[in-house]
Amino acid sequence: MARSPADSSDGPDPEAITDAIGHLRSLLSEAAQLVETLEERAPALNAGIEEEGERAEDLRRRLEEAERDQEELTAQLVEAERQASKLTSLYVATYQLHVSLDPVEVSNAIAEIARDLLGAESFAVLIKDEVRGGSEIALTRGVPDSDPLFSGDSYQGGDPQIDATLQDGVLRLEPMEGSRALATVPLRVEEATVGALVLLKMLDHKATPLSEDRDILDLLAAHAASALFAARVYSKTDRKLRTLEGLVGLIRQS
Amino acid sequence: MKKKILVVEDSKLVHRMYEMMLRPHEIVHCYDGHEALQSLGDHPDIQLILLDLNMPRMSGLEFLSRVKADPVFSKIPVVIVSTEGKEEDTQRGLEAGAAAYITKPFQREDIVEVINRLTED
Repeated sequence: MARSPADSSDGPDPEAITDAIGHLRSLLSEAAQLVETLEERAPALNAGIEEEGERAEDLRRRLEEAERDQEELTAQLVEAERQASKLTSLYVATYQLHVSLDPVEVSNAIAEIARDLLGAESFAVLIKDEVRGGSEIALTRGVPDSDPLFSGDSYQGGDPQIDATLQDGVLRLEPMEGSRALATVPLRVEEATVGALVLLKMLDHKATPLSEDRDILDLLAAHAASALFAARVYSKTDRKLRTLEGLVGLIRQS
Repeated sequence: MKKKILVVEDSKLVHRMYEMMLRPHEIVHCYDGHEALQSLGDHPDIQLILLDLNMPRMSGLEFLSRVKADPVFSKIPVVIVSTEGKEEDTQRGLEAGAAAYITKPFQREDIVEVINRLTED
């Protein structure tokens, strides 16, 4: 004989089932409310996410901008450092050229500028000799005694670059065909070209081209000769003065 | 931080360059190796030496070997600053005990970086 579950005393308790269903309905209702609430808030949340995204993008842009600014500032700092170094060199070179009225000291200053600031290994300073013609070799460094152009006391011409600069007073930084000079710097007093600094060889390790030393070359062109002339005039005058003082002293004694 | 630096160099121009470039460090100026050895005795608190190689009376390398042989001064870092720029010149200087080798013409940053590195407390 067949038996329905309701007939069985071991079957599920109908009251419990009703409670469970009621509980499930309540849960469903809560879930539905939650979904409703979420649906209501979704646009605002989406807007918030979008806003945060924009803020993040803005921050990323600003960070990139700050990084670019930092790179630019670093580059400017390096450039400022380079300029400061150059200005120091120019100041020191000018100072050394004019600090003494001793012709030997002035010659040493010119040599030190050429060697230590320009990186010249071999060079000569020529001063035009208007009386005897040609140019007096006022200073040489790293030039062998047997050098055909610069041995002895005077340069009588023969190098096309040097001759051209002595003639027209133009600074030449490029080698010229038939010339041994790497560069020839005119030495001026006021508007007149009174001599030249001839650079024959640079130090092997010198990294920068001479064109980057234009400021120092211009400074030498403008100041070296006048400093040397002033020192020579002072030295000559001083010698004459001492001679005269000696004579006066002798006359007084006699 | 302010350091006390001995400059051994025969060029007046380079002395003035250091004076300008290395402010506010204190500089003791010497024009040859003999004078520098004397100065080391007078200034035991020297923290670094900037040394030229080609000098009258005593070469830079001879001065360097004397400094390195003296137990009192051997720990002072010596930086050679020279127009001699060949690889073998650098090698010789470093083998003689120099802490660094800089060639002339130099930039301020070359010297400052080496001084900062070698005198870190």
